Amino acid sequence: MDNTPLLDIRNLSIGLRGDGVGYDIVRDVNISLYRNETLAVVGESGCGKSLTALAVLALIASPPLFVTGGSIMFDGRDLTDISPREMRAIRGAEIAMVFQDPMSALDPMFTVGTQLTSAVKAHHKVKSAVAKKRALEALADAGLEDPRRRFDEYPFQLSGGISQRVMIALALVNDPKVLIADEPTTALDVTVQAQILERLKELKDERGMALMLITHNLGVVASVADRMVVMYTGEVVESGAVDEVLASPHHPYTNGLLGAVPRLNSGANELMSIPGRVPQPYELPVGCTFADRCDRRIEICGVERPGLEHGARTEVRCHNPVG
Amino acid sequence: MKAVLKTTALTLVLLLASSFAVFAAIRLSGGDVTAARLPGSATAEDRDLFRHQLGLDRPIIDQYITYLGNLFTGDLGNSLTNNASISDLAVEKIRNSAILGGMSLVLVFGVGIPLGMVAALKRNSWLDTGITSFSVGGMAVPNFWLALILIHIFATTLGWLPSAGQGGFKYLILPAVVLAAEGIALTVRMTRSSMIENLNQDFVRTLRAAGLTERRIYFKHVLRNSLLPIISLAGLRIGQIVGYALVVETIFGWPGVGQVLVNGVLRRDYPVVQFFSLLLVFVVTMGNLAASVGYTLANPRLRK
Amino acid sequence: MSKFRRFRKNRQLVAGSTIGLVIVLLGVFGPMVFGGYADQDLLLGHKPIGTEGAFFGTDALGRDLAARATFGIRISLLVAIAVTAMAVVIGTLIGLIAGYVRGSVDSLISLIVDFVWGFPLILVAVLMAASIGSGLVPVILAVALVNTVAIARVVRGEVLGISEKEFVAASKAGGYSTLRILTRHIAPNVIPVALVLSSYYIAVAIIAEAALSFVGMGAQPPLPSLGQMVSEGRNYMRLNHWESTIPGIIIFFMVLSVSLVGDGLRDLLDPRLRTALDRTS
Repeated sequence: MDNTPLLDIRNLSIGLRGDGVGYDIVRDVNISLYRNETLAVVGESGCGKSLTALAVLALIASPPLFVTGGSIMFDGRDLTDISPREMRAIRGAEIAMVFQDPMSALDPMFTVGTQLTSAVKAHHKVKSAVAKKRALEALADAGLEDPRRRFDEYPFQLSGGISQRVMIALALVNDPKVLIADEPTTALDVTVQAQILERLKELKDERGMALMLITHNLGVVASVADRMVVMYTGEVVESGAVDEVLASPHHPYTNGLLGAVPRLNSGANELMSIPGRVPQPYELPVGCTFADRCDRRIEICGVERPGLEHGARTEVRCHNPVG
Repeated sequence: MKAVLKTTALTLVLLLASSFAVFAAIRLSGGDVTAARLPGSATAEDRDLFRHQLGLDRPIIDQYITYLGNLFTGDLGNSLTNNASISDLAVEKIRNSAILGGMSLVLVFGVGIPLGMVAALKRNSWLDTGITSFSVGGMAVPNFWLALILIHIFATTLGWLPSAGQGGFKYLILPAVVLAAEGIALTVRMTRSSMIENLNQDFVRTLRAAGLTERRIYFKHVLRNSLLPIISLAGLRIGQIVGYALVVETIFGWPGVGQVLVNGVLRRDYPVVQFFSLLLVFVVTMGNLAASVGYTLANPRLRK
Repeated sequence: MSKFRRFRKNRQLVAGSTIGLVIVLLGVFGPMVFGGYADQDLLLGHKPIGTEGAFFGTDALGRDLAARATFGIRISLLVAIAVTAMAVVIGTLIGLIAGYVRGSVDSLISLIVDFVWGFPLILVAVLMAASIGSGLVPVILAVALVNTVAIARVVRGEVLGISEKEFVAASKAGGYSTLRILTRHIAPNVIPVALVLSSYYIAVAIIAEAALSFVGMGAQPPLPSLGQMVSEGRNYMRLNHWESTIPGIIIFFMVLSVSLVGDGLRDLLDPRLRTALDRTS
């Protein structure tokens, strides 16, 4: 593993501004992505993980959402502070993104091939024949068996799994260094999920890319990721190597998430769940935002927001961590 | 494809049925042809004989078929007003109406679509509010009134344009604008809402993430998706234009099919009314058919 | 939905209804206030607005424009109401039948409905006038026909959409009769749609009646249809443009108010309504 991160999100805050409202949804987040690794960003819906990913490519809806603090370092530049032209050059070519619902993510009026070659031509001045060749290669790389056939098909003719592979091809066609996948398999059948994840991992290895995988599914994390970051109410609460964190989680929330995963051999009769509910961004309590639901709560938790403590192999944001 | 053929076939059947209905209605209520053709001193027997000779006492279906037959051989009858040959009349009138209709279609889409696009791009800005209000107003103004106002301003007061008649491009401007007015307003609204809806679709984000320029996304992808409902609108526009042309041609004295038909009805010139009514029914039906076929072909989902 | 949009929607309804109310009041009470529409006085011809005794002035034959215009409003309202009543009743019935019974009955009805729907209103009216003769009757019939068909289409679409939903199947399973299902479940969902569409067609009816009267095929003199007044006044534009302008303005506001109310209603019943209406256009 390289020592300098390829993509370094530092103290990033993203918030809602306008019409008399102003509160942050993503708060002071630090995520580092290294070459050749698969980093999983985990959390429930609404914890800000997707927003953080979108911010990397400046795809957040402004207004009303804005980056309100921090920076995103890539290739020596701060992505929150570059011109639209520079950002366009990066999108798809250096950093690429795959989204959640493949069926609606492609333009229904154009063939797969047209969209792929458009992506190629957006970054390289090449002839159509060359662009087509690259498109076909990308389709094959994504695991599609008959690239030529897919090239001429329209999105509505594709199944969920195949659409997602097309999306992956679209993301890969310009050979990016970083691939961000936002819940790439959530909308797909279970059998297809495994195949897609497998393929993503292989591609990462083959091309030496960095893969950031956003998901709420711990099973996915366990099978594919090297490191993981757990987010709750817009901040990072725990991070570290996947083996470490899953074997002995330190943050009570992580602990709760793991406990909630049904296991065949646990012998338990009930599903464990974390009591209470996730607070909304505009009603965050003082101190630790997880305190109300935490069974390890101590006095200071209701007063002061815990800082990120760097342990031997993991980081935790907790006043009273487990173990 | 099969669906297209089926629709076409059914439409043709309906075309025949409706043209028969129109034919029958006009023929049956048609007033007394004898009053126009025979001197007032003719006896009742003379009239009956005359009618028999013209075949007017045969069953209506027979008459219809005979009429259709005559159409195909080019015998369209003569106008009751001045005994002019209707076929001669038809060529000239059709050409004039086609020019007027064509010009206003150009205006409807040539002005409507760009304005709608601008309004969508700058939504909620003052420009957008202006364009939208203008189109709401445009739909409410009765076009014959609009015609009068424009005539009053441009012809009577300013003298820039002629107020009636035909004879060159200048004469075409006002009638075409009036005819196109409602269509422009409708197209602006449709384009705008269609584009706004498409701008929020997921695929826009995907294309953006792939690095395409905003311009390409907007003009190639969003626009293409937005044009679908507008295409289906195009065929219906033909129907609307035919309808309004009746009034507009009358006001501006534009010698087209509309004017001829209106005058024919007012003067009870039944041969004229007969032919041109059927002609318009045909044109409208074809226009609608073209629109639905066009929509089917344009939408890849339906093409397969 | 941001606050701005909600406010704007309300404004449409408010503005539209206010204008509409004013016009209706004028139509109902105007003729009583302003006097007879056929009273001629050749000496008082072509008087402009603000003349004493004739609030809006007079026309060529010395007839009081205010009296004529407000009576013209009555005619337009009459046409609009007659048409809408007929269309809503018959159209809804047809639509319900087609949508509920389905099968070949539905195919046949849909075919005819779609065909008629594609025809421009004015052409239909002219054809009617050609068959029956000029006057208000062909206008009313023509607009009613097109309006009926449009409503039938929408209603059918709604019925089809709702029939698919579970609660109808559940009702049927529970043994309720067809009639009961129709009235209790389908009708309440269908009526708002039909109403909004009717508002649109009222506007169309007003313009159609005016346009036809303008070319001479609608209401016959001395009945003062607004469209006809515009036509009569066009010869005197230089002399006293108010003779055309006043009825023209009134028509404009009538249509505007109906459009605004229709739009406002539609936004109010958004988004379910949008899908229903989109299916027809």
